Amino acid sequence: MTAKITIKGLNFYYGPKQALRNINVRIGEREITALIGPSGCGKTTFLRCLNRMHDLYPGNRYEGEIILDDRNILEPGLDLIRLRSKVGIVFQKPTPFPMSISDNIAFGLKLGGMRNRRELASRVEAALRVSALWDETKDRLHDSALSLSGGQQQRLCIARAIAVEPEVILMDEPCSALDPVATAKIEDLMSDLKKNYTVVIVTHNMQQAARVSDHTGFFMMGEVMEFDRTQKIFTAPSNKLTEDYITGRFG
Amino acid sequence: MALLDRHKADRLGDALFKGAALFFAVSVLVLMGLIFIVLLAEAMPALRAFGLRFLYTAEWDPVRSVFGALPAIYGTIVSSVIALVIAVPISLGIAVFLTEMAPKPLAGPIGTAIELLAAIPSIIYGMWGLFILAPLLADHVEPFLNNWLGFIPFFRGAPLGIGMLPAGFILAVMIIPFISSVARDIFRMVPPILKESGYGVGATKWEVIHQVVLPYTRSGIIGAVVLGLGRALGETMAVTFLIGNSYDISSELFNPATSISASLANEFTEAVDPVHISSLVALGLILFVITFIVLAAAKLLIRKTVNGDAR
Amino acid sequence: MTGFHYTKRKVFNYAAQTASLLCAVCGIAFLFWILKDVAVLGAGGLDFSFFTELPAPPGEAGGGMANAITGTLLITVIATAIGVPSGILAGTYLSEYGRGGRVAATVRFIADILVAAPSIVIGIFVYAIIVRPAGGFSTIAGAMALAIIMLPVVIRTAEEMLKLVPDATREAALALGAPHWKVTVLVVYRGALRGITTGVMLAVARVSGETAPLLFTSFNNAYWNWKLNEPTATLTVTIFNYAMGPYEEWHAKAWAAALLITAGVLFVTLAARLVVRGRSGS
Repeated sequence: MTAKITIKGLNFYYGPKQALRNINVRIGEREITALIGPSGCGKTTFLRCLNRMHDLYPGNRYEGEIILDDRNILEPGLDLIRLRSKVGIVFQKPTPFPMSISDNIAFGLKLGGMRNRRELASRVEAALRVSALWDETKDRLHDSALSLSGGQQQRLCIARAIAVEPEVILMDEPCSALDPVATAKIEDLMSDLKKNYTVVIVTHNMQQAARVSDHTGFFMMGEVMEFDRTQKIFTAPSNKLTEDYITGRFG
Repeated sequence: MALLDRHKADRLGDALFKGAALFFAVSVLVLMGLIFIVLLAEAMPALRAFGLRFLYTAEWDPVRSVFGALPAIYGTIVSSVIALVIAVPISLGIAVFLTEMAPKPLAGPIGTAIELLAAIPSIIYGMWGLFILAPLLADHVEPFLNNWLGFIPFFRGAPLGIGMLPAGFILAVMIIPFISSVARDIFRMVPPILKESGYGVGATKWEVIHQVVLPYTRSGIIGAVVLGLGRALGETMAVTFLIGNSYDISSELFNPATSISASLANEFTEAVDPVHISSLVALGLILFVITFIVLAAAKLLIRKTVNGDAR
Repeated sequence: MTGFHYTKRKVFNYAAQTASLLCAVCGIAFLFWILKDVAVLGAGGLDFSFFTELPAPPGEAGGGMANAITGTLLITVIATAIGVPSGILAGTYLSEYGRGGRVAATVRFIADILVAAPSIVIGIFVYAIIVRPAGGFSTIAGAMALAIIMLPVVIRTAEEMLKLVPDATREAALALGAPHWKVTVLVVYRGALRGITTGVMLAVARVSGETAPLLFTSFNNAYWNWKLNEPTATLTVTIFNYAMGPYEEWHAKAWAAALLITAGVLFVTLAARLVVRGRSGS
């Protein structure tokens, strides 16, 4: 695999509290990497390091290197706005902005300076098509995004993230607030996204990790206990703890 | 038998306590109703004498016993609007600073300091305005405004430091703590992941505030502003010191004017003519009704945002 | 993403953040500016006689505001004695009995409006129902006006504070066989004591600085008065008369009174905040 992101010796601290210990992981380009582990294990913390979401709150501190393509994104003076338009994120709950469906998608594009209406419209359509939402929304693009169902809202958030053409998409338990049907749709969507994007997903759903991902990392107490091809992790884990977790003995 | 008695005593105690609690709770409603009825009854002679004309005639002459409320209504509304124009941007700026920018250990003390502005009694604002602010406005600010913005008819008039604009200015300082503390509480209700979604597509802090936080909190913020308006409309002492007590209606904001509350404070104890007194009460009634409507609207708007998670 | 557009966004971002910082600075500047002037101009007049003597006749030097100080204290104490118990009982109804009910919702709504209603209107109301029927201004009329202003403030804080007491506490006490009212008085009130104290202190601070409702109720008095049915001097009304008056001597006295009342109100307000902080333990 070609590594899109290489993490070397990453430590992360919330104030005085260390939340991640010596993480060394390579995230493959155009692959889906799943992060699993019991709650509080640091998987979400790790995900949020990848676009430096932690910088929004004071007192947080990183050590080590996160190399995206050729650049260490932890280096001081890095432009966070550029980084975040390159590394998009989708959260555990849908977060539609209080505006119309098309304005939600166009949000990032307009920020980036796109003013041409035709161009905006075609980018909105493209993003909605990729997220399989076009057929359901093409007649109501100017309705409030809040009028969509939960599953539709989450696909809208994915569309909003991909509209700015990032290279990496982070997903933090994107299906945890959704019913099984909506979850299945998002999972299908993820497999599509893989063709063009590098996807990192945090999930508490073991089957989901097994179904969609290429590589899986098992986190526990702020450390990566095992990182390998998904098939290997789920059929022949090399770490006893991984096996115990996957087979449901704790967590 | 003794147990039965205790039961009885307990039941009686419960009934009495609940009754007393209910009595005082309902007394608030009775009070509100009584205030309205009493004011209306006392205002009747004036309303009977002048009818609806009372609302839109501009003459206020105790000597001839002719009274029209327009100058006072005009002054009340214009001074409050001036206050909002000044206070709203500053208050929202403060709320943004406190919720989105200030480091935690600083946000608390600064928030407290701003809220202390609301604790300073109105009379102190009035006195400070009259002795400190007015000379400053008269000597520096009003001539300056007249020089540079005098082509706009508002920035004209006698630069006395006492008049509509100074009254609006002191009102602005007084309502800043109300608007900013409600706005701060409302901003705090924005779910962090909504803001993070904005940052996640590469928005700057200002873009997140302007395009995500403000639209999300819109009705609550309007509510906060309307609440500030309600406060400004009814404010008495500071306005009485600074508005200048003139029944001339002027679009030139440096000129002296009057407001409902200032007219009441100045004239109520000195009025002897029953129609004069009744006219003053009618002014009070108008003020009461206007603030009731404004404050009720503010409360409904704020409630919409606070309960709005399901939107 | 062109470079120019990008720079513009960043500049705008910094400009907006700077502006918001300036707003906060501006608010704080006003607070300290006003407090500084009140302190500087008031300190000179706060001598011994200010606290012990009656006002001197107009234009004469000397004299004090002893009667206004006691008048403010007297009116505030009576207003508190009326407003606080009734407010707490009404708050008890909202929190303990009426929670989801329509009566409680209406009371809550009206109380919230009364909190911000113009206090001068309350003054007229009390004038109409007490002063005129009784044939004159009086201490008790002033105290009633302040009590009415206090009532909604106390109701809402009492309700909020009582609601913070966990239901499990109530249930545990009820399960021991205590009647509801005893549980409320002995257990729930005790749990909410700090919060209610804070609310009461804030309400007292607020009304003790009120002027407008006193103009037509307690009016003013150049002499001592301890009678409930006679007009009474208060610091705030005296400030109003002195500040509006023509004599330098009066202005100096007004500043001294302003310093006294401001210091008192801010002290009580800050003390109330400390009481609350003690509860959360932070």
